[in-house]
Amino acid sequence: MARAGDGRGPCSAAGEQPLNQQQQQQQGTSQVYPERLAEGRPQQGLFSRFLTHNQKCQLMLLKTLETNPYVKLLLDAMKHSGCAVNKERHFSCEDCNGNVSGGFDASSSQIVLCQNNICNQAHMNRVVTHELIHAFDHCRAHVNWFTNVRHLACSETCVRDRAILSILAVRNISKEVAEKAVDEVFESCFNDHEPFGRIPHNQTYARYAHRDFQNRDRYYSNI
Amino acid sequence: MADSGGWRPPRPCETYRAEWEFCRSARHFLHHYYVHGKRPACEQWLRDLASCRDWEERRTAEAQRSLCESEQARVQAARKHTLVWALRQSPPADWHLPLPQEKDK
Repeated sequence: MARAGDGRGPCSAAGEQPLNQQQQQQQGTSQVYPERLAEGRPQQGLFSRFLTHNQKCQLMLLKTLETNPYVKLLLDAMKHSGCAVNKERHFSCEDCNGNVSGGFDASSSQIVLCQNNICNQAHMNRVVTHELIHAFDHCRAHVNWFTNVRHLACSETCVRDRAILSILAVRNISKEVAEKAVDEVFESCFNDHEPFGRIPHNQTYARYAHRDFQNRDRYYSNI
Repeated sequence: MADSGGWRPPRPCETYRAEWEFCRSARHFLHHYYVHGKRPACEQWLRDLASCRDWEERRTAEAQRSLCESEQARVQAARKHTLVWALRQSPPADWHLPLPQEKDK
């Protein structure tokens, strides 16, 4: 099974890759996540070569889960929806091929974090937030990730062009089909701010959104 | 809507003030203009703040009515778009199940 070369990724090279390369996401293909379908775990000798990336990934993930306001709101919302997130069960730090940063594997209900491509805490925060949104959508709705391009477009919608790029990264379809899918769903999906209630442009507003979420019982019982 | 015996404003008054200030901030103004092509309307947050204060001081029915109407309008506006996908009645059955390879251990 193909591996990510000698285990090096952009984090081993000097400096971080440009943001739009790091933001490419992909979902559960064996070419990208070779460890996903491997029959056994890496041998002990090989595993020690990846230990540093994995440890770093685990530490950064822990910090994100404990401190990032976007992530804390998403975790709260998912718990409220019946999908409480367990770090050991629902997250996996793995080596990935290519430049992908992570993905949501709906078949195993797990978020994959590419430990060789996530280089710093800010990047980890963005990847975890993005993938938790996919997980949240999967938890609250019947999303046909693999057969319905409109559903995929909806989960990726934030900015039209980025949504199109995200779809093209995971589906072998033409640009025109991707554009059409995004345009069809854009009006509805752009305005679906769940669970944030708004588009949180920075951490202050993410905290406001979390505050509103925690206040929801009082809110809905008094309007 | 609960009767005024048990009713209180849907949000604390400080929240209405914070939302009004956020709405009027330069960053929000610029982003809203960029996305929607027109300036944001922030006056309703100020009206809600006034109603909230009015309720706290004088418990008027008018303040309660005004706040309820305003928040109901916000909820309606947020729900007016039909969702692309069907909502689940319960979470996915396999969310908490052990991972496939762990079942064989």
